Amino acid sequence: MHCKELESVLEAEGLEQLSKDARLHLATCGACQGFVADLNSIVSAAKSLPAEVNPPDRIWISLRAQLEAEGLIKEAVEVSQEPSWWESFSAWLKPRTFATAAGAALVLAAAVYVTRLPHNRPEGVAKNQPAVENSHPAQPQVTGSVPPPAMRPANAAPSQAQAAAKTKELAPSPSESASFALSQAELDVPNMQLAGNSQVDASLRQNLRTLNAFIAECELHLKQNPQDELAREYLNTAYQQKADLLAAMMESGRGEN
Amino acid sequence: MVGNPADAEDLMQEAFLQLFRKIGTFRGESAFSTWLHRMTVNVVLMRLRKKSLPTDSLEETPEPDAENSGHKRDVGAPDLRLSGAVDRVNLERSIEKLPPGYRTVFVLHDVQGYEHNEIADIMGCSVGNSKSQLHKARTRLRELLQEEMRQQAREERKAAKTPTGSLD
Repeated sequence: MHCKELESVLEAEGLEQLSKDARLHLATCGACQGFVADLNSIVSAAKSLPAEVNPPDRIWISLRAQLEAEGLIKEAVEVSQEPSWWESFSAWLKPRTFATAAGAALVLAAAVYVTRLPHNRPEGVAKNQPAVENSHPAQPQVTGSVPPPAMRPANAAPSQAQAAAKTKELAPSPSESASFALSQAELDVPNMQLAGNSQVDASLRQNLRTLNAFIAECELHLKQNPQDELAREYLNTAYQQKADLLAAMMESGRGEN
Repeated sequence: MVGNPADAEDLMQEAFLQLFRKIGTFRGESAFSTWLHRMTVNVVLMRLRKKSLPTDSLEETPEPDAENSGHKRDVGAPDLRLSGAVDRVNLERSIEKLPPGYRTVFVLHDVQGYEHNEIADIMGCSVGNSKSQLHKARTRLRELLQEEMRQQAREERKAAKTPTGSLD
C-alpha cells in the first residue's frame, strides 16, 4: 500500500479499525505515522470540548416572549376542581323527573306562602330594611338562575300530592318545611363518599357547613323578627342553595358508589 | 456553522421558534434530537444563503482555494508534528476557521459523538459523504494547527531578539 492509498482508506473508513494492509504501511512509513498520530490527537482534543453550550438566559426570555406574542404558548391557568354553582345546578337538573317534581313543589310552596301571608304587615318594614340589611350575615353568592329547593332526596322525587301533604302536615310555613326536607336529605350525607378526590369531598362538606351556619342565623333572626321580609328572602335563597349543594353532593355520591 | 456567537444565538432562537411552529409535523420517524438538529441545520443554511455566504454542500467536494493549496499535504513529505497534544484554545480557534460543512460534521461526530448514519440523516447526505467530509475536516484542522504552531514559533523567535533588534 502507498501513502495515497492509505489516505483513501482513511477518508472512506476513518481512523478506527484500519485494515491489515494499512497497518502494515503505517509500520513502515514515518510520515503517515505522524499524520495518523496528529489526527488522533485532534480527535482526542475534540472529545474534551463541551458538547453543549448553554445559551445566556436572555435568549430563553426573548424566545418565550416571541412564542407568547405568536400565541404558540400561553400562561398556565389553574383549573378549579370544585364544581361551580352552575355546574352543580346543571347536574342536579339532569334527571328530568326530579326537575319536574322540584318545579311543582316550588309552585306549590309559593302558593301556600302567598295564601298564608299575614294581613297586618307593618308599613315601616321598608324603612327597617337598611338596618336589617346591615345586621344580616353576608349572603352566599348565587350565580345563574335561582333553582327550586329540593324538598326530598334526589333519588325519591315526590309527586305533587305528596309534596302538598308534607307541607301541610309538617309546618305552618314553607320555610320550615323546606328546612325539614333539607335536613332529612342531609342525614345521608355524612356516610357518603362524595367524590373520588378527598379535597373536593372536604370542600363540599365545608360549603354545607357554611350554608347551615348561615341558615341558622337567618332562622334565629326571623324568630325574633318574623316580619322581616328581607331576612325571609335571604333564608329562602339559602335553602335553595343548600338544595343545590345537596343535589350535587348526592349526585357525586351516586357516581362514586 | 456560522462562526460567531451573536449569529449563533439568533439562529438558536429562530430554530426553537421553528420547532414550536412545526412540532405538529413531527411524525416520530427519527429521534426527536435528530429532527431538531435537521431543522436547526436548515435554519442556519437558509440564513447563510441569504447572506450569500458559502454553504458548502456536503455533496460537493470544495475546490482547493489559495489558502488550502499552499498547505496541501504532500504525501510522504515530512510534516510539522502536533507533538501529541493539541491546545484546546487553538483547536477551538481552528474549528471556527473551518468551512461550515466541514465544521458541522466535525462537531457532530468528534465533539458531540453522533454516528455517521445520524449525521447523514441530519445533514441530508450519504454516510460515505459524512465520512469523507469528516476526514477532510480533520486534515484541514491539522493544517490550521500546524500553521498556528509556525506562527507561535515565529513570534517566540521575534521575542528572543535583543531590544535593538540585532542578533548577536
